[in-house]
Amino acid sequence: MKLAALFSGGKDSAYAMYKAMNHHEISCLIAIVSQNPESYMFHTPNIGLTEIQAESIGIPLLTVKTKGEKEKELTDLKNALKHAKKLFSIKGVVTGAIESVYQATRIQKICDELGLWVFNPLWQKDQVELLNELLENKFEVIIAGVFAYPFDKSWLGRRLDKDMIKELISLKEKYKINPTGEGGELESFVTYAPFFKKKIEIKKASVSYSNYSGVYKIEEAVLK
Amino acid sequence: MILLISTCSEKLSEEEFVKPISKIIQQKHEIKNYSENIEYSKYEKILICGTALKDNEYINDLEKFDWIKDYNNPIFGICSGMQVIALSFGAKLTKNKDIGMLKIKTTKENRLISGEFYAYELHGNGLSKLDKFEILAKSDKSVQAIKLKKKEIYGIMFHPEVRNQDIIRTFLNLDTGGLS
Repeated sequence: MKLAALFSGGKDSAYAMYKAMNHHEISCLIAIVSQNPESYMFHTPNIGLTEIQAESIGIPLLTVKTKGEKEKELTDLKNALKHAKKLFSIKGVVTGAIESVYQATRIQKICDELGLWVFNPLWQKDQVELLNELLENKFEVIIAGVFAYPFDKSWLGRRLDKDMIKELISLKEKYKINPTGEGGELESFVTYAPFFKKKIEIKKASVSYSNYSGVYKIEEAVLK
Repeated sequence: MILLISTCSEKLSEEEFVKPISKIIQQKHEIKNYSENIEYSKYEKILICGTALKDNEYINDLEKFDWIKDYNNPIFGICSGMQVIALSFGAKLTKNKDIGMLKIKTTKENRLISGEFYAYELHGNGLSKLDKFEILAKSDKSVQAIKLKKKEIYGIMFHPEVRNQDIIRTFLNLDTGGLS
């Protein structure tokens, strides 16, 4: 089955896509670029970098700009999927949804209206298990945004490794955070996955941070 | 031994509809797809999992569920699992789509659910002609939980692996009263 991957450039959408690739053909990536930093569905600091990720993967990228108003961004997503249906004959969509019933419900409804299958291969997955599987499968992931206590500036730009997973587990026990950032605590950016042809090297990045909210903005990146 | 049956025609859907239930089950259990040849009698309890909204293949393969009528231990069917149970005992499919959270009301006292609660729904079919079943719960517009009158065979239309996981644990802990 030909699928579109809803792709934010972060670890969840990339890992969901990786799982889907074992069974189906990913015909295109769809990135929703929200101009609203408070977007309910699609807030991601380095969404513009999905272009270089798509170049490394070698799969066409459809970028959809949305103002990010609550329900309007869903219309924009629907239009993107319609477009993908027409251009790539997709029959379904794969998403990186893990816990969010809000997100899953809306995507299910849109795809139902368009007659598309939905695959959420990470649905209800244990979050620590997910982080470990990313490392086992050689994903290279950095923290690209922090949006909750106790994540301070030192987390921005840090690479996911075993020590980070241990730290996230202890923060989960202490502060009830979601280790994968599923609750919006963290955003990530994938610099390498097994289906990337080349790694992404970050040449220049800037950090903006205040009061447990900050972004690691990649200013310049190359494939190596 | 517990058996978990997948009704998914697409292997990838099992990550979403079978694995989350497997994660909840602490006891030793096996997972099989309904299309496999299975020796059902060796299992003490069976759970039949749901599948993707677009997946209706199980309806074309109802003869693969003939075993339900002859099985004497408890069965718990979720969504498509409820549908195959109901169809095995004379029910008919109707069109009834629900996606997202829905309020459920218990209508008859039973061993699995009680009171009012919200549950996650993802189905395109409903059921009618449920004469052989007790209706245990309803939403505003449809039947949400049933029990076969003469056996410990349950079906629920919503997805307890997403919200209300305790219902699965309660089923697993049901005292079968010397069954098996």
